[in-house]
Amino acid sequence: MSLVQMSLAVELAAEQKQRRNGLARWGRPALGLLLPLALALGWELAVRAGFSNGRLVPPPSRIYEEFTELARSRELLRHVIATLLRVVAGFGFGTAVGTVLGAVAGYSTLVRRLVDPSLQGLRAVPSIAWIPLFILWLGIFETSKVALIAVGVFFPIYLGVMGAVLSVDRKIVEVGRAFRLSGFAMVRRILLPAVLPAYVLALRSGLGLGWMFVIAAEFMGASEGLGYLLIDGQQLGKPAEIVAAILAFAVLGKTTDWIIALVAAPFLRWEDRFNARAGES
Amino acid sequence: MLGLERVGKTYPNGVHAIDAVSFSVGPGEIVAIVGGSGCGKSTLLRAISGLDTPSQGRVLLDGQPVTSPHEKIGIIFQEPRLLPWLSVAGNVGFGLEDWPRSERAARVADALARVGLTDKANMWPRELSGGQAQRVAIARALVPRPEVLLLDEPFSALDAFTRTDLQDHLLDLWADLRPTLVLVTHDVDEAIVLADRIMVMRPRPGHIFEEIEAELPRPRDRQSAAFDFVKRRVLAALDRSLARPARVDDSETRASSGAALWW
Repeated sequence: MSLVQMSLAVELAAEQKQRRNGLARWGRPALGLLLPLALALGWELAVRAGFSNGRLVPPPSRIYEEFTELARSRELLRHVIATLLRVVAGFGFGTAVGTVLGAVAGYSTLVRRLVDPSLQGLRAVPSIAWIPLFILWLGIFETSKVALIAVGVFFPIYLGVMGAVLSVDRKIVEVGRAFRLSGFAMVRRILLPAVLPAYVLALRSGLGLGWMFVIAAEFMGASEGLGYLLIDGQQLGKPAEIVAAILAFAVLGKTTDWIIALVAAPFLRWEDRFNARAGES
Repeated sequence: MLGLERVGKTYPNGVHAIDAVSFSVGPGEIVAIVGGSGCGKSTLLRAISGLDTPSQGRVLLDGQPVTSPHEKIGIIFQEPRLLPWLSVAGNVGFGLEDWPRSERAARVADALARVGLTDKANMWPRELSGGQAQRVAIARALVPRPEVLLLDEPFSALDAFTRTDLQDHLLDLWADLRPTLVLVTHDVDEAIVLADRIMVMRPRPGHIFEEIEAELPRPRDRQSAAFDFVKRRVLAALDRSLARPARVDDSETRASSGAALWW
């Protein structure tokens, strides 16, 4: 978990930096594309030259063909929408419950002592272990899939929110008290803004796990969705279809993550980050 | 009129921080509380502010007991404690949330002008220097026009130059609105520059040990002999409060308060 969060933090910081340097804005990402493009081109040439038949490792041109074929027949859209809806629903439920429980457990010591040990125990269970139980309880259709994704999303968000509430600076809270804020006003004017940066980070790691668990959910039996496409490609021996589905996952995951970062950015401009400062002076 | 009636504080862990402190401060008066570290001066200030409740005695403001943070009592902490997610103007106007927008903007602009930070209104707190941030904190505390302003070692984290600057600044602001100031400090010069009365506290448990009137004309010259005279009295009282062998010989200054004019 901490690794996911660390890489997210690094990414966030890197994004800020790019926005500041006009020239490096396009130059640096282009540098990162060099290696994959070279590999793809090399493989394409190797297959064209007949060094390999490219049956198990399809060359880029074949993947592209597969991708456009899927897109043209509207198959891709159907699978993407199915997967996206599951992630959105699971992420929504997981976020709602994780936020509320995390906030309450952070705020109240009593609730934390009551609830946290059990939740930490449940967290130690690999979420995929719930699949058989969820299928028994909720059936093989959408409900059990959404539930699995929600469980995966819940834990990072619960932990993130609870940790953020617990680490709100006592001195800042005291400022609120000195201005006679209480209850709701204290939450709205002090606690909420104070936990926001950590919350955004928790949302982003939660979303990452959501995308991870949607595949697990779709592996357990689905008639549509990108996970189904993966299984389908394996069973019919179509590696190009598998890679096309993986690419779709990459694009979707990155885009949804970027949307969260983009929506949150205006609210986090005040942050005193080491990277934000380096860019200014 | 701020009054303390036998205010005492015992923490749940049994530490008897302050014991039966009584004094009163008139409107517009400036009182400094000095003392060695751990003598309970910050505890006393927190009890007056209502952030902590005294375990014995009570704090009265205009005859009404103070049991929780009071709208007529403002406090400035050792650190600026600005809210990092609000602009400088947002921080200054923090206590005026319920006011109509235009009135609040006018008050904030006025307060920022008083502390000389009009051009910084739209900056983030992180972009300010330590002295500027503390000026914003002063503006934030003064904007609701408190009757009593409490200062808990407000300038101790600043360099000597900025500190003298802000002391003069604070006096200018005080001259405009004339709130009662209660200042906790461990800087004797600061106490004498600012205060009409200096209370020396003695620890274990904290209580007022000696009270010294600083009858010096304002503005006070830090280099004058009269200033030095009061300073030696305070330092000697501090030495006595800590039951140390006197570092400062105040035999001449102890004679009578009239001796202040001896020079």
